[in-house]
Amino acid sequence: MAKSGILKRWADKYGVVIKVQRFDYAASLDAFVAKNIDACTMTNMEALDMPAAAGVDSTVVIVGDYSNGNDAVLARNNVALAQLPGKPILLVQKTVSEYLLERAMVLNGLDNQLPRLKLLNTSDSDIVGAFLGDKSNQVAVTWKPLVSEILDQDRGVKSLFDSSRIPEEILDLLVVRTDVLKRPDGSGLKFAKAVAGAWYETVAQIAAANAQAISGSAAASGDSVASYKEQLRTTYLYSTPQAAAQFAQGSELKQKMDLVRQFCFRHGLLGQNVQSVDDVAVLYPDGAIQGLKDRVRLRVDASYMQLAAQGKL
Amino acid sequence: MAQSFRVSDLTGIQVRPARLWTHSLSWILFVAGIALYAHFSILRHRENPEDRVIPSVTQLVQGLKSSVLEPAEEDDPLDPGASLIQQVRHSMIWKDTASSARRFFIALLLLVPAILIGLHMAVFPYAGAFFLRFVLFFDKIVALSLLPILFVVFGIDEWSKIMLMVIGVAPTLMLDSYNIASGVPKEQIVKAFTLKSSNLDVAYRIVLKQVLPQLINSVRLNLKPLALFLFAGEMIASTDGLAYRIAIMRRHMGMDIIIPYLLWVALLLFTLDALLRFTNRRLHPWYQPH
Repeated sequence: MAKSGILKRWADKYGVVIKVQRFDYAASLDAFVAKNIDACTMTNMEALDMPAAAGVDSTVVIVGDYSNGNDAVLARNNVALAQLPGKPILLVQKTVSEYLLERAMVLNGLDNQLPRLKLLNTSDSDIVGAFLGDKSNQVAVTWKPLVSEILDQDRGVKSLFDSSRIPEEILDLLVVRTDVLKRPDGSGLKFAKAVAGAWYETVAQIAAANAQAISGSAAASGDSVASYKEQLRTTYLYSTPQAAAQFAQGSELKQKMDLVRQFCFRHGLLGQNVQSVDDVAVLYPDGAIQGLKDRVRLRVDASYMQLAAQGKL
Repeated sequence: MAQSFRVSDLTGIQVRPARLWTHSLSWILFVAGIALYAHFSILRHRENPEDRVIPSVTQLVQGLKSSVLEPAEEDDPLDPGASLIQQVRHSMIWKDTASSARRFFIALLLLVPAILIGLHMAVFPYAGAFFLRFVLFFDKIVALSLLPILFVVFGIDEWSKIMLMVIGVAPTLMLDSYNIASGVPKEQIVKAFTLKSSNLDVAYRIVLKQVLPQLINSVRLNLKPLALFLFAGEMIASTDGLAYRIAIMRRHMGMDIIIPYLLWVALLLFTLDALLRFTNRRLHPWYQPH
């Protein structure tokens, strides 16, 4: 987006200066919570854990896509979900991988086995090597492109469950700090509009399989074009602003966010001292609030997606 | 004999500060650090009372209490009627300290042969010829880059982390003890032979005995890289341990647990170092490094 000049054009249109910085995922979340950066892309789970739970009021400005098979539970030797308890499972704990695993167990009626799962926290950079190199590691939960690498290199590994079975639950969002949006000089609003405009223009190009857009994006994320296309295949992109706005304003978002926030609360991700799941509340576009009214920390703002849908950007 | 203090004394070499000064001056940097932290913490909390990036004293105390009294989240909760001792024994920090300490000390034990190999390299010319060049080269391999290989060879559990520590620190210890043992004057060795000692006598009863205080100091200096490798291994793949807990807490900004853990590790290493220093002084009162 930044490289092709699309973002600059939109930024100039609104008279703001937008700087795009490349971070490692965890480092970007740290910077966002420390208020060193104004906006960040993250999943809905991290949007609850990090800024919302640390008291940094954040607003979801764009709902980009949901994981439709990008995250998977992999096992070798025909191990089934019912046989998981007791076997060490390689995954990055406290991320969407653990969420996916828990949902897999619950949806298969195995939720009473959850406390018996043996989780081995493995950094994503080493999970492929560890799983492939040592055959005694039988189960891993991770995301693409690591999933594709593992499935390509080891025929005996099968996917037991993936995020296409839990659609709309693992969302990728663009989150902006609420106090940035509410800046009195209006620069926050202009920023949000500029980013939304640039976003939908870029996404339209990717959805239309514009070769230049795809190779540019793949290069920016350090992937090959083939691997990037493979990931796009299992990502449900809200490529039109209408689709995104509709989803953000619908009731399904609330249901899915409820599942996610219950998970976060159960695992103490909302904070050590948080007494109830309602202490970190989410405000939806129709005014509904999940949680305590005076504890709203995460807001979903569909207005920019709506403006994009109406062509008013 | 008390001398009057002059400002130029601060930059002087031939001065003897009063006991009061030596004690109080050494605390100033600690106080300054804590004051700086408190300043930033209060600043952030004024803007945002729930801030977790720079926790306040109450948050830190709460974090400390929960790690000392409550079991780790992956364990079962305790009976409500458990005594204080039982609570501490089942607590998160006990579990993590026990598993990290076990790995640390097993690695330390496995490093004793490395020190002895260095000694042999210095005293026995054939051993030196055999080992020296390879150890000099192996020392330059960045041990952390070997971690994926170690995972494959040793599995992802305890042994890969222990071997990471051993492979990382052994070359340094070998080369250091080689240098230290080479410093023993050759005349002593020749003299020992004239007094009818055998080869092993010279190695262990002459050379090792006199360089042992320096070897212990060398081990003290290598405690930090040993701890570093332990942390690297635990942060990358583990089910428990001090660095594992820090890595997990990082995922949701649990600085109120990370900071007490950090200070706890520093305290543990400081105590171990002090213990080694004290043992060295008691065992070898004759060792004056100058």
